[in-house]
Amino acid sequence: MGTLVLSGATSGSTTLQPTDATTQTITLPPGGGTAMVSGNMPAFSAYYSGSPQTPAANTWTKLIFNTEDFDTANCFDSTTNYRYTPNVAGYYQINLICTVGQNGSSTTGYSSAIYRNGSIYVITQTGQVQNGAYGNQSFSIILYLNGTSDYIEAYVNPTNTGYYSPVSNLRGVSLSGSLVRAA
Amino acid sequence: MTLYDKIMALYPNLTQQDFLTVITLQNDSDGKGDYIAKWEHPTLARPTEDQLK
Repeated sequence: MGTLVLSGATSGSTTLQPTDATTQTITLPPGGGTAMVSGNMPAFSAYYSGSPQTPAANTWTKLIFNTEDFDTANCFDSTTNYRYTPNVAGYYQINLICTVGQNGSSTTGYSSAIYRNGSIYVITQTGQVQNGAYGNQSFSIILYLNGTSDYIEAYVNPTNTGYYSPVSNLRGVSLSGSLVRAA
Repeated sequence: MTLYDKIMALYPNLTQQDFLTVITLQNDSDGKGDYIAKWEHPTLARPTEDQLK
């Protein structure tokens, strides 16, 4: 390991920038602290906007995230597959919020899952949601994505007829995430 | 009648646990509807297309 000393950098922040990649920089804050890397750490937030959806009982139904808050690297597909395929290899924190309701004649349980590459990666399950009541599943995980072909999606699975997103447009069904450590 | 209902009509003894372990019904929200993504039940045969009509 060597040390790079920038002579003359005595105050203010210092930015390191390759000459051939103007969007990739490392900024060293003044007076010490943590070096920040900008421009190559993907982050996104998307949610479902629309009327409540009614997935079939005991069927894993993909959650629709058709509205983006932000998608810094244009890696989230909010129009067709509702999936996130980041373009940087590393460890990502993924956050899922799934608000569900029940307005049928019986109670229902719910499972929600994050899929990686088309297969279930993690499942959470609620207890019974009573008729006319709401439930919520919110969880975060950190998982590895290879930055090329790996992708994630989210699914919900009620044990009886129910619905998700009882209050539309308020991010009650949302998916977000960001790179927390490069590979 | 949903795919789940049709399967339950064929095999009424299936449990919800079966649908979380050895059988996966899935809908990819792509307009193509529900389908059997996995059928690994140890004793019951995967339903045929004719049986699910």
